[in-house]
Amino acid sequence: MSDFQPKIVAFVCTWCTYAGADLAGTSRIKYEPNVKIIRFPCTGRIDYMFLIKAFANGADGVIVSGCHPNDCHYVSGNFHARRRWIVFRELVDFLGMDVNRLCFSWVSAAEGAQWAKIVNSFTEEIRQLGPYKAYMELVKKDKNESVF
Amino acid sequence: MEKPRIGVYVCWCGTNIAKMVDVEAVAEEIKNVPNVVVSRNYKYMCSDPGQDMIINDIKEFKLNRIVVSACSPRIHEITFRKTLKKAELNPYLFQMANIREHDSWVHTDRAEATKKAKALVTAAINRINYHEPLKELSVDINPATLIIGGGISGITAALEIADADKKVYMIEKSNKLGGYTADIDLTYPHLSSVQQMLGPMIERMKKNKNIDLFLETEIKEITGYIGNFETIITPKNDNETKLSFGNIVVSIGLRSWDPSPLENYGYGKFPDVITSVEFEKMLLSGNIAKKDGSIPKNIAIIHCVGSRNKNYHEYCSRTCCTVALKYANQLRSAFPNASIYELFADMRTMSKGCEELYTITSRKKVVFMMFDQENDLPGIRKANINDNCEMIIELNEKRSRKFVEVPADMVILMVAMEGREMVKEVAQITGVSLDGNKLFIEKHPKLDPVATTTSGVYTVGSCQGPKSIPDSVSQARAAVARILGTIARGTAQVAGTTAHININICCGCQMCISVCPYSAISFDAEKNVSVINEILCQGCGTCVALCRPNAIDIWGCSNRQMTAELTALLLSD
Repeated sequence: MSDFQPKIVAFVCTWCTYAGADLAGTSRIKYEPNVKIIRFPCTGRIDYMFLIKAFANGADGVIVSGCHPNDCHYVSGNFHARRRWIVFRELVDFLGMDVNRLCFSWVSAAEGAQWAKIVNSFTEEIRQLGPYKAYMELVKKDKNESVF
Repeated sequence: MEKPRIGVYVCWCGTNIAKMVDVEAVAEEIKNVPNVVVSRNYKYMCSDPGQDMIINDIKEFKLNRIVVSACSPRIHEITFRKTLKKAELNPYLFQMANIREHDSWVHTDRAEATKKAKALVTAAINRINYHEPLKELSVDINPATLIIGGGISGITAALEIADADKKVYMIEKSNKLGGYTADIDLTYPHLSSVQQMLGPMIERMKKNKNIDLFLETEIKEITGYIGNFETIITPKNDNETKLSFGNIVVSIGLRSWDPSPLENYGYGKFPDVITSVEFEKMLLSGNIAKKDGSIPKNIAIIHCVGSRNKNYHEYCSRTCCTVALKYANQLRSAFPNASIYELFADMRTMSKGCEELYTITSRKKVVFMMFDQENDLPGIRKANINDNCEMIIELNEKRSRKFVEVPADMVILMVAMEGREMVKEVAQITGVSLDGNKLFIEKHPKLDPVATTTSGVYTVGSCQGPKSIPDSVSQARAAVARILGTIARGTAQVAGTTAHININICCGCQMCISVCPYSAISFDAEKNVSVINEILCQGCGTCVALCRPNAIDIWGCSNRQMTAELTALLLSD
């Protein structure tokens, strides 16, 4: 399973984590190529249905990352994201999905090294878990009912 | 909507991208993606020829969507939007794929990096199919400016704006103007009087009718956006005052670090181990003396105390080396026969005239000794009675590789400069980010060093990074040039990336109103729907993700766009 290259999508805010990932680049910190970033204005913008959509399109893992508490460019968006996350995680668990394939973190514009660390450790975790075939099985089980 | 005709441009960034990503292969492969009309690769897309290439293609091939695959959009998105404008294409019909910071610079396998680049570019192309032309909103600019912090940079900015006959509100936390500069005796490298320079400036501040000065006042909250900010302050012995202003200058400076944690220097333990800030006050008072009132015969100046030290501050505090040389000169003038020692890690005398000061100082019987900042800091112990001095500094001299004992009656620690205690609050209130060292982050480190990512907010002086007086003054004047420019224009364009409500779907639950941090949403009771004020809306999208019936979407980051980007990203991987 160690050769498995997981597909991971990261939903990040432009002000903190996107900038942090930029800093990892300017600092030439090397990390795994598996995580691909999608840029949002704020974690508060991230509708968690996008995460379901990611799994439905073959993602093996998903990261959500934004500004640290009290550092949100838009004052409070990250708090709303955090609150929703707690509910969403419960829902994911209830639906029979694997919560270990979700990662929620704070990475500031100054934390390039932290971003690289999260990418590497989460990629390794997902690599150990293997491809997320179980999600497709879950969908097949209840063909008539939409996931959304 | 007209059928998308997409032009895709893959940038080499010299070798920055091309070394790790096969840019030609990426450009070749994406030719097959639906709606791509033109796909090219070029050495520097941001250069004039690169931008001209886009403009010509837009005209020749009637392109109506542009994707540039290059560096971070945080660097060049604005550049390319302007390119589109030049070609009379709406600037929002544009998308960047970041294959430099997020790809070529961080990966080591060329095949993997190229594969990732293809996925990122394909995702951007798929997304841009759903981009729509957006209008930019024009807002009026209130010509008043708020300045937070009355040090040399704040004062310079205030006078400059006031001299242009525009209103300034100066907020200062302490009871006097001048900041750290007010405690300095002489400047380096010319050793001229700071007080003679600063005094008249402060007088002008007090007399200028365009400047409202609020001492012993703090800012709790600022609302609004470029051109239209507001705050309520409570000046000392006065009533609440509401201020309206169009631009903000943050000039809160830095504070000196308390060196107590570096126990080897014995600050707080030995009475005559003092900080550079304490010594400067001594110079200003005209009385250099030990705690017991006697004259020191042996004086040691230790550099890099808490600076360039990974346990405290990794950065260089920039001014201390030259200030230390200034001290040696002032000490030599005061005590022609004293022994003066400079204990340094590396001598960093950048800026005009400063290296010359180093040469001059070295001819004044000052002993220079080097220590290992990383592994072997000097230590101070109490001297014996026969030593004829108060303290002994133990030092492994780096260049001679010899153990040296330096006699000292007074030790001056050149302490680091660090973020002030309220820096986080100020950052939050003004919407400016801090880096890991609690220094304000500029909009662009090279090309836009005084602006911030929040329109209308500028950071100047040391709070953006330790600085000398001339550098602080230059920054203040640079920010003022920008502000006066905005005021002269009278209006500013704000991005049209705002949220909008489909009133046919809105159920009137008003949840969006409760989460909006800008109070940009109100309720139309008659129609039973929420209404967004697009000037107040800053486009965070919190209401979009929250809206249960999916009635709200956001221009520039719509559900359709994000889904298109996401699916293509995964399917092309």
